[in-house]
Amino acid sequence: MRAMKQLDPKPEILARRGEIIAGLLRILPKRAVIAEAVSLKPYETDALTAYRQVPLAVVLPEDEGQVVDILKFCAAEGVRVIPRGAGTSLSGGALPLADSVVVGLMRMNRILEVNYPDRYAVVQPGVTNIGITRAVADAGYFYAPDPSSQLACMVGGNVGMNSGGAHCLKYGVTANNLLGLRLVTMAGEVLELGGTHCDAAGYDWLGLVTGSEGQLGILTEVTVRILRAPEGARAMLAGFASNEVAGECVAAIIASGIIPVALEFMDRPAIHACEAFAHAGYPLEAQALLIIEVEGSEDEQDATLRRLREICERFAPVSMRVARTDEESAAIWKGRKGAFGAVGRISPDYLCMDGVIPTSRLGEVLRRIEEMSEDYGLKVANIFHAGDGNLHPLIMYDANEPSSFARAERFGAEILTLCVEAGGCLTGEHGVGVEKRELMRVQFSPGELEQMRAVKDVFDPHWLLNPAKVFPL
Amino acid sequence: MQTNFTQAQLADPEIAVANEILRRCVHCGMCTATCPTFVTLGDELDSPRGRIYLIKDMLENGRDAGVEEALHIDRCLSCLSCMTTCPSGVDYMHLVDHARAHVEKTFNRPLADRLMRAALAWVLPHPARLRAALRLARPVRGLGFLLPGSGMLTKRLRGMLRLAPRGLARAAVVGRVYPAMGARRARVALLAGCAQQVLAPSINAASVALLNRLRVEVVIPPEAGCCGALVHHMGRDAAAREAARANVAAWVAELDGAGLDAVLVNTSGCGTVVKDYGFLLRHEAGAADAARISALTQDISEFLLKIYQPARVAPGLRVAYHAACSLQHGQQVTAPPKTLLRKAGFEVMEPKDAHLCCGSAGTYNIMQPEISAGLRRRKLETLRELRPDVIAAGNVGCLTQLAGDGVPAVHVVELLDWMAGGEKPLALS
Amino acid sequence: MTPRDEEELAAMVRAAAGPLRVQGGGTKADMLRPVRAAAVLSTAAMSGITLYSPSELVLRARAGTRLAEIESVLAAHGQQIIAEPPRFFGPAQTIGGVVASNISGPRRIGGGAMRDHVLGVRAVNGSGEILNFGGRVLKNVTGLDLAKLLTGSFGTLAVMTEVTLKVLPAAEAVGTVVVPAADARAAVEVMAAGLGSPFSVSGAAYLPRDARAYLRIEDFAESVAYRCAKLAGGVAGAEILGGEESKALWAGIRDCAALPPGEAVWRVSVRPSAGPGVLRDVAFAGVSGFMDWGGGLLWLSGPATRAAHEAVCAAARGGAGVWWLMRGPEALRAAVEVIPPEAPALAALRRRMTAKFDPRGIFNPLKMWAA
Ligand SMILES: Cc1cc2nc3c(=O)[nH]c(=O)nc-3n(C[C@H](O)[C@H](O)[C@H](O)COP(=O)(O)OP(=O)(O)OC[C@H]3O[C@@H](n4cnc5c(N)ncnc54)[C@H](O)[C@@H]3O)c2cc1C
Ligand code: SF4
Ligand code: SF4
Repeated sequence: MRAMKQLDPKPEILARRGEIIAGLLRILPKRAVIAEAVSLKPYETDALTAYRQVPLAVVLPEDEGQVVDILKFCAAEGVRVIPRGAGTSLSGGALPLADSVVVGLMRMNRILEVNYPDRYAVVQPGVTNIGITRAVADAGYFYAPDPSSQLACMVGGNVGMNSGGAHCLKYGVTANNLLGLRLVTMAGEVLELGGTHCDAAGYDWLGLVTGSEGQLGILTEVTVRILRAPEGARAMLAGFASNEVAGECVAAIIASGIIPVALEFMDRPAIHACEAFAHAGYPLEAQALLIIEVEGSEDEQDATLRRLREICERFAPVSMRVARTDEESAAIWKGRKGAFGAVGRISPDYLCMDGVIPTSRLGEVLRRIEEMSEDYGLKVANIFHAGDGNLHPLIMYDANEPSSFARAERFGAEILTLCVEAGGCLTGEHGVGVEKRELMRVQFSPGELEQMRAVKDVFDPHWLLNPAKVFPL
Repeated sequence: MQTNFTQAQLADPEIAVANEILRRCVHCGMCTATCPTFVTLGDELDSPRGRIYLIKDMLENGRDAGVEEALHIDRCLSCLSCMTTCPSGVDYMHLVDHARAHVEKTFNRPLADRLMRAALAWVLPHPARLRAALRLARPVRGLGFLLPGSGMLTKRLRGMLRLAPRGLARAAVVGRVYPAMGARRARVALLAGCAQQVLAPSINAASVALLNRLRVEVVIPPEAGCCGALVHHMGRDAAAREAARANVAAWVAELDGAGLDAVLVNTSGCGTVVKDYGFLLRHEAGAADAARISALTQDISEFLLKIYQPARVAPGLRVAYHAACSLQHGQQVTAPPKTLLRKAGFEVMEPKDAHLCCGSAGTYNIMQPEISAGLRRRKLETLRELRPDVIAAGNVGCLTQLAGDGVPAVHVVELLDWMAGGEKPLALS
Repeated sequence: MTPRDEEELAAMVRAAAGPLRVQGGGTKADMLRPVRAAAVLSTAAMSGITLYSPSELVLRARAGTRLAEIESVLAAHGQQIIAEPPRFFGPAQTIGGVVASNISGPRRIGGGAMRDHVLGVRAVNGSGEILNFGGRVLKNVTGLDLAKLLTGSFGTLAVMTEVTLKVLPAAEAVGTVVVPAADARAAVEVMAAGLGSPFSVSGAAYLPRDARAYLRIEDFAESVAYRCAKLAGGVAGAEILGGEESKALWAGIRDCAALPPGEAVWRVSVRPSAGPGVLRDVAFAGVSGFMDWGGGLLWLSGPATRAAHEAVCAAARGGAGVWWLMRGPEALRAAVEVIPPEAPALAALRRRMTAKFDPRGIFNPLKMWAA
């Protein structure tokens, strides 16, 4: 079923499997090394299960020293290394290779420092995204980037993918909310990048490493900015008669000078799937739904919502509703944040695309996706961050039916190519991973790819770190 | 998620069910974060998603369970936090039940393990045996530290000794029918349970007294006994079904006789299983009856919600409500106990990470003493932060687990009964 | 050399026989180390906005486009460059230079720096290849983020020919809460309280000259009024400034109007609570200045001496922060560490990195580090 070519394992490494595992056991406690075939199996994939490969071994380091030892050992032995956080990547970012050692960071899950006067927190990479917010919520603070997977995904993975979320329209993505990193290079050197202050003197290593998908090193510490939460926030729902109309409404909102904290879009199939899961009162009669969130005091929320309602009304909404209580707002977000899983209720498998388009092309691109959906005979639900044009078409397929995945994959590639042609890009927040590796040629020239490879070379001259991702083979 | 079962495998109805469940899982990993064992052990294999994957691989390959599968499945608390979290509606409960039965059938456990499990299965579900065992244990209750070594067996025995209450009250409820005080408004059967009768007889006593006071007639047919949960969670499928069958028969006799408005359970661990009798016995002759009973079953808090009235002025106590997993995740009953306690006049608070298990989980605290102790510590810390006067929960297992930390732990109905005119819970005086 | 377009620029790079001083308007020539090069390669002739879509919040311009031109076009549509780059360097500043130096104004503290809003960059590397990184959409994680790497690299890796920025609507209204502050420490406390409030403070500065801390709110008019009142409420001596006064005040802070005259100018970035310590620790050397970013950014001026410079470096180090020598005589800039030296492992990495972009080492050699 796997259409994509994989990097050939190095036979000399496979042949020395026993020796390598013994070597790992020399530098790590027994509980940190997984080597039995049965136990390696669940590590063969992440949240993109279409691609699977059992690794040579899995190690679960508990501190930076162990990470250094592991990388030094693997560098000396020429063993490939796959960093892994929670394994929620939707692009196969944590997919192993047969001759690789997976380094799982989930045991490094401590919050090391919280500093309110200077508004930062220092955490280990295995802390979950929501774990930061939970740790500072009592003091009224939060960590802004909020991927839908925030309950489970880990800060290291967030930095790896430069993850975004529903609220990044106002607060920015991961890269905009970091101050410092500790990175262990493949050579086992520990680099301190950034710190607790703003902006680098010298190159923006922090910016380069963010979103580098485990290509440059393993993160062992992350310093994030924490923000004081607003006085309150409320979501409103506006349902429209067509995708195009909803798209026009989005443009009108932005043009009015209002930048809501969140501006999310769902099409009809998505509305139905999410409502079944969250019972949030989504309008089932609408063809397209906008979730709009505003912040501030009650009065400020009312004022902004009034402006927004006026704008929405110009587009003949089929329904409009403002959450009255925190519970209602929470239910609205539960549906949106559980959207991908909710689609799991109506289809056994899905591929989640992540292309970005200029928002002015929204209606047109959605129409093309609909046509493709008919051509390929596969249903698709669209959920996306409307304010920034980041589309998440979920292509539904049935992995137990042999031709289905191949079609889904081609469909996905066609959508992403369309996004690039429309002036956008392949991925807005999920990363290239293994999934979009070959499509990189659509977006970048050979010279551009060569320059990126050269940067990878600088950090990892032997290409041992998370190889066969990001760059076309 | 893709599965790889042959047509022949799928002909087995159990495998067919497992396949359906596995197909629902999209491997998103959301459930990992709320799983107590993943949070404490940090290994995919100890997460719901990892277990699902292990089980999938084992079943697809028609493989006997080995050390690894048994280890990670045994470590699952069956707290079902993962089901609350899962956006795709994956029925993890029935999958892990199936897997436990598979392990029990195909895995050759070490002798010590087998003996321990057999002993628990022989003693716990039988009040008389348990009472006898505890009488033996009581004098040595505080002597756990004398047990040699730090091996698993020692830890397990220490865990067991901790269970033994300091004094054993007499079994409180005996007999069959407890009439309503005043004009009867409903008639219910109450599951008297097994271990609970011995470990905390006051819970049944308070339940019956409260229901009677609220003009509800309570029947406890002596033919009904242990619900089967303890053996069910050990993968002893046949024993579990036997227990279920007996209970269904006893209650159906009442239902079709004098009539029943509900079957009430005041131990949520049992409630989850009784509510699932319909599924458990689906292939048997009595399937329809079992389904009727399951449909009639409620946690006692669900039933009380409509009728509870306090009769005393509340003493202004701070109650830390600990949501038992079987109640909040297994039965998705979350608001009723808190609503009732507030109605009774208590100040109700909930700890941080309320979704995490306290580590009791049936016999888990005995079989997995280290993980259990870790979870207990964590839970007690978050409870202590609330500075409560009393901890309340709807499951005897949790109460036993949380006892002994300076704050009394009582069943929700004990507090409710007290405020409705009943006795003050012993633990509070 | 002032190429008119990218192709011409690339050809010039390929043909270059030796080091080039890469610049836009040349306004930052006396910032960081002096560049010794036979020729100047200026993007000043490559100017013009090539894309502006207000409803999509993007603007793209050739590198040589003047900052002032971009800002006036944006203003006509009620929009602005989010990071509020200072005009400290005079009217000839180009957008390429602003991005290459990643210098942001007061709004950085809430809205982010220049580097946070660079969506895409076109550039020519040292081999004369034309490369395009990033794009024109608001979110993009496709491949390594080389646009970020080029931002703030002071023309040492590649010559930017075009940049794409995220822009935002300018707020309807602005207001300022003015709080008397006896000293820098008291000011940081005021600013920390403001930045730690739920009111989205978009500027927090302290001018020792005025002995006042300033907190800025930018939003809809009702919100500005409400939030300013909340921030000022109960604070002894607090006053609220209206829109026009606020605008003038913050333009002054952005452009360093309050910086005492001095032969040398530095910028120091530390965590906010360390700001007062920096001011204190440089005073003995005759260096003084003001604080922005809630205390995290210090603009300093003083004598162009080694001793003064060392004092600034030591103070920045003491606050676990960094410094930039923004302006000074060539002799000083050639002699000192104009930005902090890197740890050896990172320095080695950086040298390899520079070689990958500019193998002949012709772009602004030694602009940032001595070796
Ligand atoms: C249901 C669902 C919803 C999602 N919603 C969103 C969303 O709204 N927005 C969004 O941006 N993403 C979303 N994602 C994608 C995914 O959650 C993010 O990419 C997330 O950041 C991955 O984190 P992780 O801990 O699971 O990392 P993993 O998947 O384990 O790894 C991600 C990448 O980072 C690397 N990596 C991990 N840890 C380290 C480390 N310590 N050092 C170096 N490299 C490391 C890995 O090698 C890999 O390349 C969603 C995923 C799911 C399943
Ligand atoms: S949350 Fe549900 S669908 Fe996702 S991995 Fe867990 S069980 Fe599977
Ligand atoms: S039942 Fe509890 S312990 Fe078991 S996998 Fe689910 S969450 Fe984890």
